Amino acid sequence: MSISLRRALVGAAALAWAAGAFAQDAIRIGWLSSLTGPLSSAAIAENQGVQFAVEEINKAGGVNGRKLELITRDTAGDPTKAVNLAKQLAFTEKVHFIIGPVNSGESLATVPILARAGIPNLIIGSVDELVDAKKYPNAFRAINTNRQWIEAANHYALNVIKRKKIAVIGDTSGYGTSSAKTAAELLDKAGIKPVYSVLIDPNKTDLTDEMNKAKAAGADVVMPWSAATGLLARLLNTRGDMGWDVPIVGHPALMAPAIKKLLNKPEYWGNAVAAGYVSTTYDEKGKLPAKTQALIDKLHGKMGTGEIDYMLWWVALGYDTVKIVEYAVKQANGTDPKVIQKVLENTKGLQGVYATYSWSAAQRNGFPDHQIVMNQANSFKDGAYRAAR
Amino acid sequence: MLSALIAGLATGALYAAAALVYNVMFSTSKVLSVTTGHTAMLGGVFGAWFMQAFGLPVPVALLGSIGVGALFGLLTDFVAIRRVLSRSDEHLWLLSTLALATMVQQAIALWWGTEPKPFPRVIAQDFGAGLLDQKYWLPVIVAIALAVGLELFYRRTLYGKLFVAMSEDIFAARARGIPTDRIRMLSYVMAGAMGGLAGFAAGQLTFAYFALGLTLTLNGFIALAVGGLGSNLGALVGGAALGILSSIATYYVGGEFQQTISVGLLMVVLLLKPEGLFGTRNVRPV
Amino acid sequence: MCGRCEREQIEMKRLLTVIVVAAALITLPFWAGDQYQLHIAALIGAYWVLIAGLNLVVGFSGQLSVGHVGLLAIGAYAFAIIAGTHGIDPWLALAASGGIGALCGFLLGLPSLRLPGFYFAMATLAFALIVTELVLAFEGLTGGGVGLSVPSFPAPFDTSEGNYWLILGMAALVTWLTWNVARLMWGRGLIAVRDSVVTAQAVGVPVLHAKLAAFVFSGLTAGLGGALFAVIQSYITPDTFLFELGMFFFVCIIIGGRGSIIGPFLGTVVLTALPELSAPLAKLGNFFYGLLLLLVVLLLPEGIGRLFQIVLERLRPRRVESVPIAPQPERLAAAIKVGQR
Repeated sequence: MSISLRRALVGAAALAWAAGAFAQDAIRIGWLSSLTGPLSSAAIAENQGVQFAVEEINKAGGVNGRKLELITRDTAGDPTKAVNLAKQLAFTEKVHFIIGPVNSGESLATVPILARAGIPNLIIGSVDELVDAKKYPNAFRAINTNRQWIEAANHYALNVIKRKKIAVIGDTSGYGTSSAKTAAELLDKAGIKPVYSVLIDPNKTDLTDEMNKAKAAGADVVMPWSAATGLLARLLNTRGDMGWDVPIVGHPALMAPAIKKLLNKPEYWGNAVAAGYVSTTYDEKGKLPAKTQALIDKLHGKMGTGEIDYMLWWVALGYDTVKIVEYAVKQANGTDPKVIQKVLENTKGLQGVYATYSWSAAQRNGFPDHQIVMNQANSFKDGAYRAAR
Repeated sequence: MLSALIAGLATGALYAAAALVYNVMFSTSKVLSVTTGHTAMLGGVFGAWFMQAFGLPVPVALLGSIGVGALFGLLTDFVAIRRVLSRSDEHLWLLSTLALATMVQQAIALWWGTEPKPFPRVIAQDFGAGLLDQKYWLPVIVAIALAVGLELFYRRTLYGKLFVAMSEDIFAARARGIPTDRIRMLSYVMAGAMGGLAGFAAGQLTFAYFALGLTLTLNGFIALAVGGLGSNLGALVGGAALGILSSIATYYVGGEFQQTISVGLLMVVLLLKPEGLFGTRNVRPV
Repeated sequence: MCGRCEREQIEMKRLLTVIVVAAALITLPFWAGDQYQLHIAALIGAYWVLIAGLNLVVGFSGQLSVGHVGLLAIGAYAFAIIAGTHGIDPWLALAASGGIGALCGFLLGLPSLRLPGFYFAMATLAFALIVTELVLAFEGLTGGGVGLSVPSFPAPFDTSEGNYWLILGMAALVTWLTWNVARLMWGRGLIAVRDSVVTAQAVGVPVLHAKLAAFVFSGLTAGLGGALFAVIQSYITPDTFLFELGMFFFVCIIIGGRGSIIGPFLGTVVLTALPELSAPLAKLGNFFYGLLLLLVVLLLPEGIGRLFQIVLERLRPRRVESVPIAPQPERLAAAIKVGQR
C-alpha cells in the first residue's frame, strides 16, 4: 500500500472515529405536553421554557459534549393518548428522560407505566398521589404539591389575616374534588371545621346561592380550590355584586391574567390572595430574584421586549426541568437510570429559577415548603406578582 | 332560595329557546338536529367576538350574531339535511347532524380556545342590581318574545301557514305546489337566527364558551320532550320546569347530582306521558 | 362445469385467509416493532370487544347509541374496584364486570329502547354524562377525581405479551359470538328491525325483545371491554371516559359499515392507529372524526366496507352461473302419473 493511501485510510479512520464519538447518542428527552385541550395555556408556556432551555444548552455545546434532543408529543389532555404517547416515547423513541405530562389526570395514568419501564420521569403535576418513593422510584417532582399550596393558603388565612370561619369551595371536576378534600383534611388537622363547604359545577352560570349561603353561615374568608377560571371569575363577580368584602384566598388560578377580562369591574379583583412563588414575586423595591430576572432578560432577548402576558412561573418551571436533566446527566456522567436515580436522591439545594430543589431516598417532592408565598391576585405585571400583606 | 329560582328561570329560558329552535326545524323536516344547541353557542361566541375584537356597538353585534346563526342553519340544511332526507334510510340525519355538530364544536374550540371568555354588557346597568340584573332577564324576555313571535308567524303569515302545512303532511303540501325544499331551507335559516339571538341574550349568563353547544342540545331536548314536541307553549313550560328543578335540586342536594336529576325528570315524564305535557299523541302511519 | 367444486374452492380460500390472519394475530408480539405497537394492538383489541357488541345494537338493529362509553366506564370501574380495592380474583372480577355491564345495559335499555331514534340517542348521551357525574360524586368508592389503580391478571397474563393474548382470546370469542348471531336468524331479525320496524313486526319478529337482547349483550361486551381497557391503562380516572370516546366507538361502526362484522373491525383498527401515525391529526382528533362521519354519511352511507366490496366486484366480478330454465314435459308427465297412482 502506498504511503499516501495508508495515510488517507488512517486519516479517514480517525475522522470516522471522531465523528462517531461526536455523534455519540444525543440525550433524548421526551416531553409530554397538553398543547391543545384543557390547561393548554400552562402547557404552552411551559413548552416555551423547555424549548428555550434545550436551545440554550445546545448552543453552549450540550451536556458533556452530547446534544439534547427534545421529542415533543401533544397529549391533548386525554389520559388514553397520554398513555399511548408515553409508551411510544419509552419504547419506540427510547428516550432517556420524560418530562410531564402537564395534567394531573394524565400523569396519574402515565407515572406507573414509566415506572415499570424504568425511565426517569420529571413530574410537573401537582396532585399529591403522583409520587411515591417506593412505587415509582424514578419519578421526581419539580413542581410544588397541592398540599403545599393549600397549607400556605391556610396558614395565611388562619395566622396572618387571623380568620376562623372558613368557606371551602371546590368544583365538580376531578382536580376540584380531590383538592377540596385535601383542603378539608388540612383544616381539620389545624383544628378548624369549615362553616360552609360546597362543590360547584365549573360551568354553573350563577353563584349567588352559594355565596349567600356562605355569608349566612358567617364565613369570614372564602377559599376556592378550583383551577376553572370561569368559576373563579364568577365567584369574584358575585362577591363584588353582593357588596360583600370577604377576602378570597386560594388557588393560583385566582391570579391568572385571563380572569381580568371576565370580571364585571376591575376592582372586584381586590382583596383576593392566591398561592404564588418566591421566584415570581416582586420584593419591596419591586425587584425579582436575580435568577428570575436573568431568565426574563434572556427571554426578552429572544422574543422581543413586549410585556409578558402569561404566568412566568410556568416558563421557569419548564426551563428548570431541562436544567435538572442537565445537572443529573453531568453528575451521573451518563444516562444510566439507576445512577440518575441515585444522583437525584442525593440532591440537596439544587438552585433553579423556579425553585431550589432537594430530594432524598424517601422524599420525591423536590419543592421546598418555604418557597411558596401568598401573592396579591390583582398585582399581575409582566408575569410576576407582589406579595400579599 | 329566590335567587335559585330566578337563576333557574333564566337558564330554563335558554333551554326553552333551544326547544323552540328544535320545533321550527322539526316542523318542516321531521328532523331533530343535534346542531340546535350549537346555533346558540355560535350566537354567544360571535357576539362576544364582534363586540370585543371589532368594538362594534351592541345592535350591530346582535345583528351579526343572528346572521351567523342563520348562516349556520343554512349550512345545516345544505350539508346535513338536504341530501340525507332524500334517502330512505331513516336515521341518517342523526348521524349527519351529529357529525356537523362535532365539527363545529371542535373548530370553535381550536379557534376561540377552550376557556370561557367574557361577554360584554349589553345594556348599561350597574352590577349591583342583584336579581334584577339583565343577565337573568334578557334570556327570559327573548324566549317569551320568540314563542309569541312564532305563534303569530304560524297564525298570521302565509309562510307560517306553509310551515304548518308541511308539518302536517309533506306530500300533500308538495302536491299543492309548495316548494318544500325552499321552505325547509327558510325554516332552518329562521331556526338558526332564533338560536343566535338566544345565545346572544344569554351570553352574560353563560360566558362565551365552546362546549355550550352539546349541553344545550341535550338540555334543550329535555325541555322539548317534557313540554311536548311541536308545542311552543310546551317548550316554554318544559324549559322553565327543567331550569327551576335543576336549580332547586342543586340548592338542596349540591352540584354533584345535577345531570342525574335533569335526566331523571326526563325519564319520569317520558314514562308517564311519552308525548310530553302539551304534545299530541303521535299516530304513526303504517 | 363443477359448481360445487368452485364453492368448495371459495370456502377453502376463506378458511385459508382466516388461518393466515389468525396466525398473524397470534404471533403479533413477536413481529410487532416494540412494546408501544403491542400496546396499540392490545388497545384495539379491548375497543373491539366493546365495538363488536355495540355493532349488534348500532350496525344491525339500528339503535343509535352514542353513550356506550358509560358502560365502558362501568366495566372499568367495576373491575378496578372488585379486583383492586377488594382484592378479589381478577377472573371473577372480569366476569363480574361483564355481568354488571349487562345489568346496566338492561336497566338503561328497558325504558329507552321504546323511544324513537333521536330520543334514544339523547337518552344514551345523558346516561354517559350521568355515569361520569356519579363516578365523581361517589369518590369513596371510585377514588373520585384521583381515580383508581388497576391490578393486572395473574401470570402468565401479567406481561404485555400475556395481556395481549388474553385480549386476543376475548376478542376472538366475542367476534365468534357476534358472527353467529349475525348470520343466523337473530341477525336477520335485527336487520329487519333496523330497516323497517313495521314489516319486522308484521312478520313476527319480537321487536322490543330483540332490541333489548342485543342491547344487553352489548352491555356485557362493554363491561368486559371496560375491564380489559382498565388493565391496559393500569390506572383509570374519570377524564378517560368522555363523550368523545362514545362518539369514537359509534363512528368506527358507521364508517366501517353497518351490517357487517369485518367493516367495523377495520374501522376500529384504522381510527385507533391513524392519530398515532399522524401527529397533526392527533391535534385535530375530534374534528377529523366528525368530518369523516359526515363524508361517509353523505357519500358512502353503507360504510367503507361497502367501498371495499364495490372495488372487489369491479376487479373480480362474481360469476353468476346462468342456468336456463326450460320446460321438461317428460318429467311433468311422469310426476302426474305418480300423483295419479
